[in-house]
Amino acid sequence: MMQLTMKATGDNVKVLSHLLAKNPANLYERNHKGHSVRLFYSKFSETEVEVTIFVSPDPIELLKHTSNAYDITHYINDREFAVSSIFCSFIRSALGTALNGQPKEEFSAWVDHPFSFQFDFGPVASALSNQQIINLFEPLGYKVEISRGETGYSFDMKPKSTARYLSLNGVCTLQNGLRQLFVLIPVLDNYKHYYIDEKEIEKLERYGQGWLEDHPQKDFIWRQSLRFKEIYSMVENSKITQDRSDSQEEGSKEPAVKKVRLNELRYEKIIETVSKIEPRESVVDFGSGEGKLSVRLGFVNGIKEILAVEPSESANIRALELFDKAESKAGYVKPTPLWGSLFYYDERLKGKDIMILCEVIEHIDEFRLPKVMDTILNEYQPNVLIITTPNKEYNNVYDMEEHFRHSDHRFEWTREEFHHWCLNRSAQYPYELIFDGIGEEHKQYGCPTQMCMFVRKEV
Amino acid sequence: MKIIVPYAGIVLLVGPSNSGKSTLLKSMIEKKQILSSEVVSSDEFRVLVSDREFIDWRERPKDEADCLLDEYQTISKEAFSMMDSVIDARCRLNKLTFVDATHLHPDDRKRYIALARKNHVPIIAIVLDIPLDTLIERDGQRDHPRGKRRLKQQYQTFKREKRFIKKEGYTSTYLLDETKHIEFIRRTNPIEIDVKQGIDIIGDIHGCYDEMILILEKLGYEKNDEGLYIHPNGRKFISVGDVMSRGPQSLNTMLFFLRHVQKGLAYMIDSNHGWKIARWLEGRKVTLSHGDEKVAEDFQQYEEAFGSKRTEEIKHALKEFLLQAPSHYVFTKNGVRALVCAHAGIKDEFIGKQSRDISDFCRYGDTDGFDQQGKPIRKDWFIHHQTTTLIVWGHDPKPQPLLINNTINIDQGVVFGGKLTAFRFPEKEFVSVKALKDYAESADNPLKEWEKKRLAPPNIGRLMNGYSVLTEELGAVQIHQDIAKSAVDAVSHFTIPIEQLIYIPPTMSPTPNASSLDNYLEHPKEAIDYYRNQGIETMIAEKKHMGSRAILFLFKDKAAAKKHVGIDSLGVIYTRRGRRFFDAPTEEKLVLKIHKDLKDYGYFETYDTEYLLLDAEIMPWNLKAKELISNQYAHVAENAILDRTKLKEKIEAAFKENNLLKGWLEEYEHKLENAMTFKEVFQKYCWDIGEVDQIQIAPFHILAHSNEVFFDRPHTWHMKMNRELSKHSSLFVETEYKIIHNKESEEEAIKWWEEMTSEGHEGIVIKPESFISRNKGKLVQPAIKVRGRKYLNIIYGMDYLRPENLARLKNRNTGKKQKLALKEFALGVEGIKRFVNGESIERVHECVLATLAMEADPVDPRL
Repeated sequence: MMQLTMKATGDNVKVLSHLLAKNPANLYERNHKGHSVRLFYSKFSETEVEVTIFVSPDPIELLKHTSNAYDITHYINDREFAVSSIFCSFIRSALGTALNGQPKEEFSAWVDHPFSFQFDFGPVASALSNQQIINLFEPLGYKVEISRGETGYSFDMKPKSTARYLSLNGVCTLQNGLRQLFVLIPVLDNYKHYYIDEKEIEKLERYGQGWLEDHPQKDFIWRQSLRFKEIYSMVENSKITQDRSDSQEEGSKEPAVKKVRLNELRYEKIIETVSKIEPRESVVDFGSGEGKLSVRLGFVNGIKEILAVEPSESANIRALELFDKAESKAGYVKPTPLWGSLFYYDERLKGKDIMILCEVIEHIDEFRLPKVMDTILNEYQPNVLIITTPNKEYNNVYDMEEHFRHSDHRFEWTREEFHHWCLNRSAQYPYELIFDGIGEEHKQYGCPTQMCMFVRKEV
Repeated sequence: MKIIVPYAGIVLLVGPSNSGKSTLLKSMIEKKQILSSEVVSSDEFRVLVSDREFIDWRERPKDEADCLLDEYQTISKEAFSMMDSVIDARCRLNKLTFVDATHLHPDDRKRYIALARKNHVPIIAIVLDIPLDTLIERDGQRDHPRGKRRLKQQYQTFKREKRFIKKEGYTSTYLLDETKHIEFIRRTNPIEIDVKQGIDIIGDIHGCYDEMILILEKLGYEKNDEGLYIHPNGRKFISVGDVMSRGPQSLNTMLFFLRHVQKGLAYMIDSNHGWKIARWLEGRKVTLSHGDEKVAEDFQQYEEAFGSKRTEEIKHALKEFLLQAPSHYVFTKNGVRALVCAHAGIKDEFIGKQSRDISDFCRYGDTDGFDQQGKPIRKDWFIHHQTTTLIVWGHDPKPQPLLINNTINIDQGVVFGGKLTAFRFPEKEFVSVKALKDYAESADNPLKEWEKKRLAPPNIGRLMNGYSVLTEELGAVQIHQDIAKSAVDAVSHFTIPIEQLIYIPPTMSPTPNASSLDNYLEHPKEAIDYYRNQGIETMIAEKKHMGSRAILFLFKDKAAAKKHVGIDSLGVIYTRRGRRFFDAPTEEKLVLKIHKDLKDYGYFETYDTEYLLLDAEIMPWNLKAKELISNQYAHVAENAILDRTKLKEKIEAAFKENNLLKGWLEEYEHKLENAMTFKEVFQKYCWDIGEVDQIQIAPFHILAHSNEVFFDRPHTWHMKMNRELSKHSSLFVETEYKIIHNKESEEEAIKWWEEMTSEGHEGIVIKPESFISRNKGKLVQPAIKVRGRKYLNIIYGMDYLRPENLARLKNRNTGKKQKLALKEFALGVEGIKRFVNGESIERVHECVLATLAMEADPVDPRL
C-alpha cells in the first residue's frame, strides 16, 4: 500500500488543496497500470490540513515484467508494501501539479511559500541504519523520527523488525518537500531491481535542483540512486563484467592490493616452474575459471596444447573472450576451454605432460579430495602435477578477522598439513614430491601460498 | 520330387520363358502349399507399374522396334526395382518369397543372394531344365508369345549357366526336368519355440555342475530313474550357453545338456566357448585358453577312464551338438514373440533369423576393438534394443541380474565365485544358487573388477552433450545438454559426493485442477477425482509436514558404508538439491543418535540389511530456512502489518467525518487481518532448536535396503514401517494418514483436511494405494499435494483469497509440473534400483543428475 501523509499546520494551509489540485471533499482514486492510486483528506481546517496518498497495488500485476519468475522469493516480497521508486512512479502523476509547482494561476504565488510540514511515510525497507537515514534528512532541516514494526515471534528469529516508518518535521515548500522525498525514497529502499523505470534517473536530477548540490551526503545519494544504472548496464553491455573480472574476486577476504600482487606472483611462479619442465607440450589447467592462468601459459615456449577445464559455463565464456583477445600476439598458443569437472572421468585429460590445480583444492570439501587425486594420479597420470593452495599460517601476517581468506574456502592448511596430505595422496602412486612457496616469505609463517609438484617417476 | 522349402527367405525360380515356373507356383497356390502373397513375379510387376505384361517389337520397322525395346527395358527396370524392394521387405520381416522370373543371367541371381545374405535369410534355387522343343511348343499357346528367336536365345543362356548355379551359394538347389510331380515341404522356424508350461533360463554354467544340479532342484526339477531332470509341470530349461570351460566339470555338464536336449527336455544355444570347443572337436587349429584348456583336460581324463573309442564317440556327438546349437531361441506365448535367449546379445533385426553373422554377433556381442590386454572392448548392444520383446542373455558377468532396456543379463559369474542365476518365464522370477567356491581363481576376476570399478567417477563424455536415461517405468528420459551441464556444475561445487548421492526426490504436483469451490484454490476433491479418473479406487491421504525435504542414507556400520559407497561414515542426510542438510557436526550428532536407536531396535539385523534409505521431511522449517523466513516472510509480514495498521488508523480517524471512506476502511480492515494471518501461518512451522532432540524427522517412504527396494509395497506398508521407526527413535515422528476407498472415507478425509488446515497445517498428500500406479499402461502421478487455505497465504501472497485475485490464480497450469513429477519419479525409482542392484555409480548418477538437471528447468515455484 505504500503511503505518504502530508500534514501542514499554520495559517493558509487550506491553499495546499489547490497546490495539490485535489478537492478535499472528494476521495481521489485513479487506476495506474492496474494499481489504485488513492488520496484522501483526514483534516481540513484553517490551520491544519492532513492528506494521505497511498497505493493499493494489484499484487498479481506487480509480479509481471520480471526476470526471476522462477524463484519463490519473487512471489513473496515487500515490493507491494515498502515505499520505493515504484511508489514514486505510481503517485507521480497524482502529485504532478505539486511537484511541478504549476497550480492554477491565482495560486502560483503559494508555490514558493514555506509551510510547517510533517511528512509520514513508510514502510521503509532499507539496509541503512537509523543514523544514516537521519543523515539524509537532517541537513535538509527536518527533525526525523523513526519507528519500527512489530516482531514478537514465537521463536527466536530476529531482534528487531526490518520494517520502519518515518516522520519528518520541517518547514519547506510543498514542491521542495515532495521533490526531496522523490529523490530520497529510492535512496533508502533496498531496491531489488524487480522493476526499473529508466526515466526516473533523469527526474532525480531535476528534483535535486536547489538542494542536492549542497547536501553533505551528495555523493552517497548519487551513488545509491545510480545503482539502477549499473544494474542496467551490466545487462546491456558486457564491458562492466570485463572490469569486474580484473578487480578482485567476489568473497575475497584478503587485503585487495596484496591479493592482486599475490595472484601475479602465483602466476609468475607457475609459469616459471612450467617453463623448466620437460616435456611440456600438453598442459591441463584444472579449474581454470576465467582463464587468467591459461592465457599466460599460452606464451610459454614449448607448450603446444593447453586445456582449460572448468565446470562453470559462464566462466568458460569469459575465458574464451580472454583467449581470443590474445590471439593476435606473437608466439601464442590459444588454450582450449573444456567444460569438465574434477569429480568425473574425462578421457581427454589422459597422459598429459603437466596438470595444474592452481588455488582449486581449497574450494573442494576435504573428504572429496582423495578420490579426485586418485583419478588424477591413477587415471590421467600426468608427468607433473602442480598444486597450489593458501598457507594458513600466513593468515597471521594478514591480520585477518575472518577464518578463511575466501568465503568459499572449505579449508586452509598449514604447511605441515599440506605436506602430510600430499604424502598421503601420492603414497600409492609413483610420484615424487617437491614443495615450494609463493610470495614474500615470513620468517615464522612461511609464504602466503604453498605449492607442491608431483613428479611422475620413471616406471 | 520333394522340395524342402525354408521357413523364410527366398526361393529363386530359374528357367527360360515357358519353362513352367508360374504354372508350378500357381498349382502350389491351388494346392494350398503356398500363399499367393508369397509369390512375386516380374510379369505381374510389369503390369503393376505399366499396365503391360509384354511388348512385342517383332516385325516392326527398326526405328519403332528400337523405341519399343527401350520402353520395355525401362518398364522392366522399374518393375524389378519395385519387386526387389518388396522382396527386401519380406526378407526383413522374415517371410518366405518365391521369385518368379527367368533369372538367366548371373547378375540377376547374385542380386538375390546378396539380398538374402543382407537380411540373414536362406535362399534356395529351383532350376527348371525343360527341352527347347517343349518351350517353343508352349509359346504358341500363350497370349503374348515371346517368339522362337527369343526362346532360343534364352535357352542358350540357360544351358551355359546351368552348371554354375549349384556353386553360387544357395542353401540348396533343386534341378527339375518336369513340374508335374513336385511337392513342397514347408518347415517352421526351428528356433521359434512355444513357451508351453514355462521355461527356466539358466545363466553361464562354465562347468559348475554341482551348482547347476542345485539350481535345477531349486527350480523344481526331479531326477528320474534314467538320471534325467524332469519338471513335474512339464517345464523345460534352457542354457544361454557357455556351459563349459573355466569350471571343474565341463565335460559332465556338456554331456548332461546333450542328453537332455536329445530327449527334448532342454535347449542350449551357441556361445563363444561352445563355438571354440566345437571347432577344436572338429580338429581345427585353435588355441585353447581362457579356461578352454580345462575342457581338453576333462576329455583326457575321460579317455583314461573309458578308453579312446568311447571318447571318440562322445567327441563326435558333442561336436555335432555344439555345431548345431542355434545362435538364439525365440520363445512365443500364444503365438506371440515373448522372449529371446541369446548368449552375448542380439540385434533386433536378427531375431528369429540365422546366419553366420548372426551367430557371430550372438557369441561375442557388439565389440569395439581390443584393449591393452587383448580383451575385446564390449559395446552396450542393449541400448539399441527397441522392441518390447524381452531379451535374456549371459556372457558378461555382473554381480546381479542386470535389467536394462528390456534385456536381462543372467550371468552372475558362478565360476568366479558369484552366483548361478535362473530366470523363470513367464513368471519373470529370478532363482539363484551361490557358487560353492571361486573355481576360476583368475587374476582378473570380472566380478571383482566390476566391484572395483563400481564407484569409479562417471564418464563425463557420456553426459556432457546431453543424454538419455532408460527407465523401467517411463522408458527413455531425455536430458538436454544445457541443464545437464548446470547440474554437473552443482555437483562439482555443492552436493554431497556422487557415491552417496543416489537419489533425489521427485517434485510433486498440486491438484491438476483448481478447486471448483469459491473460497478455495486447492481442495482434496480435485486430487481424488484425478485418481478416480485414472481408474484408481483406493488412495491414501498422508499429512504433509511443513519442514524441509530430506533424504537419510543410514548404514549399519562404517564397514557397510565403505563397501557400498566407499566412504567411511555412518550416514548422510541431504536436501532435495543434493546438499548436506546440516553442518557437519550436527549431522554427525544426529546420525549417531539415529544409528544408536536403530541398533538398539535391531533394525539392521531384523531386516537383514546393511543400509536404510529414507525419504523424509525434517522439521522445524526454520532449521533450514531461517534466512529465507527472516528475510522474506517475516520481513514481508512486518511491512504489511505496519503499512496496513497505519493506513487503517488514518482512514478510521478520517472516517468519522467522511462517510465516503467506508469502503476503503472495510478493505483495509480485511487486508490487515490477512497480514495477521500471514504472520501467524509461517510461525506454525517454526520453533527454537536448542539441542538436536528438538528436531523432528518424519519419514514417509522406506526407499531401500541393501538387498531390496520397496516400490512394490503399498503406502500402507511404508506408513506401518514409519510408525515402527517412530517408536524406536525419539527423532522420528509418525505421519498421520487416512485411507480413501469410498464416499464415506472420502468425506472423512476431506473433513480431516479442513480441520488440520484451518489450524494452519500445510495440508495433505494424496497417493494411489500402490507406490507405482498405472492406468492403461501409463504411469499416473505418484502423489498429489493438497495444500490448505491458510498455508497458501505464504505461497500465493496474503491477499490471494480476495475474489479478484483468486479468480486469476485459478487459471494456473500444472501440466509441466506433472510431466516433471512423472519423469523425476521414474528416474528416482530407476536410480535406487540400480544402486541396490550393485550397478556402477555411473549408472546411478545418470539418474540423479537427470533429476537435478530437471529441477533447474524453470517452472512456477508456487506449484
